[in-house]
Amino acid sequence: MPKSLNEVSDFSNIFTRYDIGAAVQKRGAEDVSTDKVLQAIATGVVDGDEDVVLENTNKALENNEPTKVIDTLIAGMREVSKLWDDGVYYLPQVILSSDALMVGLEKAEDAMGGKAVKKGTVVMHCAHGDIHDIGKNIAAALIRANGFKVIDLGSDVPEDEVVKAVKDNNANLVTGTALMTTTMSAFAKIAKMMKDEGMTTPFVCGGGAVSEEYVTSFDLGVYADQAKQGVEMATDASSGMSWEDMRSKYNLVM
Amino acid sequence: MAKYTSMAYNSWDEMIFGTTKNPVSIGLGPVELGKGWVVPQIVPHPRPGSTDTKEKLLREYQRMTDDALGRCVALGFPALVIEFEHIYQMTSQPDWAAAIFKQAKAQMQDYYDKYGLKSALISTVADLRKPDMVHMRKSQELDWMLETFASTAENGADVLSIETMGGKEVFDWAVQRQDIRGVIFGIGVLSSRDMAWLWPQIVDTAKKNNITAGGDTDCARGNTAMFLAGGYTATDLPHTFAALARACSAARSLVAYEQGATGPTKDCAYEDPIIKAITGVPITMEGVASACAHSEMQSNIVAAVVDLWSNEAVEYHDMFGGSSVEVFTEILGYNVAQMNASIALGQEKVLRDINIASDKYRDVHGFMLSPDNSYEIGKAIVENIDSYYGRSKAAVLKTAELISGDSKMQLTEFEKDALDKARREVEALPDSEDEFIDQCLSDYKKVAGFDPSAYGF
Repeated sequence: MPKSLNEVSDFSNIFTRYDIGAAVQKRGAEDVSTDKVLQAIATGVVDGDEDVVLENTNKALENNEPTKVIDTLIAGMREVSKLWDDGVYYLPQVILSSDALMVGLEKAEDAMGGKAVKKGTVVMHCAHGDIHDIGKNIAAALIRANGFKVIDLGSDVPEDEVVKAVKDNNANLVTGTALMTTTMSAFAKIAKMMKDEGMTTPFVCGGGAVSEEYVTSFDLGVYADQAKQGVEMATDASSGMSWEDMRSKYNLVM
Repeated sequence: MAKYTSMAYNSWDEMIFGTTKNPVSIGLGPVELGKGWVVPQIVPHPRPGSTDTKEKLLREYQRMTDDALGRCVALGFPALVIEFEHIYQMTSQPDWAAAIFKQAKAQMQDYYDKYGLKSALISTVADLRKPDMVHMRKSQELDWMLETFASTAENGADVLSIETMGGKEVFDWAVQRQDIRGVIFGIGVLSSRDMAWLWPQIVDTAKKNNITAGGDTDCARGNTAMFLAGGYTATDLPHTFAALARACSAARSLVAYEQGATGPTKDCAYEDPIIKAITGVPITMEGVASACAHSEMQSNIVAAVVDLWSNEAVEYHDMFGGSSVEVFTEILGYNVAQMNASIALGQEKVLRDINIASDKYRDVHGFMLSPDNSYEIGKAIVENIDSYYGRSKAAVLKTAELISGDSKMQLTEFEKDALDKARREVEALPDSEDEFIDQCLSDYKKVAGFDPSAYGF
C-alpha cells in the first residue's frame, strides 16, 4: 500500500535543506564613533531608522562640520554592507538603511550649502520597450548609498536619450537593464552610437534574459549578473578602469 | 463582487489534475480543458533581431508555430495550446499582432484539417501601462492594449489573457523594504481595483468575438517577490515574505473570474491552485519545463491540480534535439502523457501525491501551493470575500498560520523572524478597508509615480 505524506518523515532523498545547515549567526554592527550622537547616526543607518538618523543628524550638525556628519553616515552604511556581505542582512535591510542614509545626507548637504563630493557619476536606464525596472531601482539605491551620483533615466528609454545623458553628465559608467531578450537589442545600438561618437564609457548591462554572451558581443559592453555588483563596477569605472579591463575582470571572455 | 461565496470543492482531496468543476472548451477540436485530461501548452518567444520588421517577426512566428505543431504530430500528442505572450512590438502595433495571430491560426487549421490535431491559441496582451509612467485608465498605452485585444480576437485568438500591472509602483517600493502593509495595499487593493476596472472590457471583447476570456496573473508582483526570494542561498528577500505576498496574489487574481473570465488561467499565476479551489475553473501552470525561463522551488507540486501544463516562455533557437520550441513541446507533451496515462490507469491521485511529496516541504512557496494548504487559504478568502483588503489580509494570516503550524516545514531563524514580524504587522492593521485605504493613501504618496486617481480614488 502506498504511504500517505503524513507517514513520511525522511525527505533526505528528495531534497536537502542547504539553507538550514548554512544559517548565519546573527550579529550586530561595529561602532564607528566614540561620540554618542555620531554613533547614534550610524546606528540609525544600520537599523534603517530614518527618524533616528534625522534627529541625531540635526543634533550633530550643531557641534560638527557637515563633512564629519557625512563621513559618519557613510561609515554606518559601510557597516551595513559588511552585514550584507556576511549574510546577516538581506536586501530589504540594506534598502531601508539606504533610505535612512539619504535622509541624513540631504540634511548634512543642506547645512554644507552644496552636494558632498561624489565618487563618480552613473547613468542608469531600463531598455526602450521594457518596463521591468525593479532590478535597476535596487542597483540605483545601492550605488547611490555608496557615494555615487546616479542619473536615473527611468524605464522604456529611447537609445539617443541614454547617449545624450552619458555625454551631458560626463558619466563614468552607464547601465542598462532589460527583462526581455526582444528589448535588450537596444543595448547594442546604444553601444554603437557611443562608439561612433568616440565615447569609451563602460556600459554595464544585465537583468532577466540578458546574457553574458550577448553583452560581450559588442564593444563597451560589460555583463552584470546581480544588482549587487553595481557598486564595485561603479568604483572600478570611476577609478578609470577601461571597459576592456572591466570585461576581463567580470566576464568570461571567450 | 462577491461571486464566490463558497468553495468549488468540498475538500482539497477532490482536487486533481485534468478535471475541474467548470470545464472550458477552446479552439479547434475543440480542446476541452478540465474534462479528464491535461493538455500541453507551449509559449514560444522570438529571438532578438527578429523584431526589426513585421515581415521578419511574422517569419519567426510562422516557424515557431510550425515547429510546435509538427512535433506534436511526429510524436502523437493529441492536442496543443499555443500561447503568444505579446512582445512590446505586438501590443503597441495592433496590426502586427493581428497578422501574427491570423497566420498562426491558419497553420493550426491546416494541421487540424490534415491530421486532426486539436489546438487553441491564446493572446496574452502585454500590459504597457507602467503605473509610474502612464495613467492606468487614460493613456496611449491603454488604447493600444484594447485595440490589440480586439485585433487578435478578430484574427484567430481563442483566449484573451493578460498580466496586469496595477499596484506595481507601490508593491515594488514595499517589497524592497519588506513592508507587508505596502504589499497588501499594492496587490490586494490597487491591483484588484485595476483588474475590476479593466477586466469587464476584456470580457466584453471576448464575448463580441465568441471566444474565451482566460485569466490574469500576479506575475508583476507575486513572481517578483518569488524570484527575489530565489533559492536556498539567495539573500534578497525572505522566502516566508514571498509566500505571504503570494497569498495576496490569490485574493487579487480572483478578480478576473469575478468579472467574467472563465479560464484557462494564466500560466505564471502560481496562485492558481487557490483559484481552482475557489472557482473550479481550469488552471494553467508552469513547472519543471519553465526552467528554460527561470528557476523555481515548486516545479513538481504545481502539477498536482493542473489542467493546462505550460513552459512559461522559451526563446527560439537551435538545440541538439531540434529547435527549442520543438524540444519544449516534446518535454511538455511527454509530461502530460504521463499524467494522462495515470488517469487512464486510475492512478491519478498517486501521481498527484508524488508531486506533492516532491516539493511540499522543499520551500514555503511549494508548501502554501500544496492543494491541502491552497484549499485552506481559499477558504480564508471566501470567508472574507466582501472586501479586497479583508480577503487579502485573511489570506496572509492564514498562510502565516499554516507555515508556522506544520513542524515538517523547517525554517531558519531568519525566516521565522521575518514571518513573525510580518504577521505581527498584519495583525495590527485596521479591520476596516476604508480606514486601511485612508492610511495607505497618506503613507504611500511618497512612492514615486503613485497616482490614486489611476485606481478610482
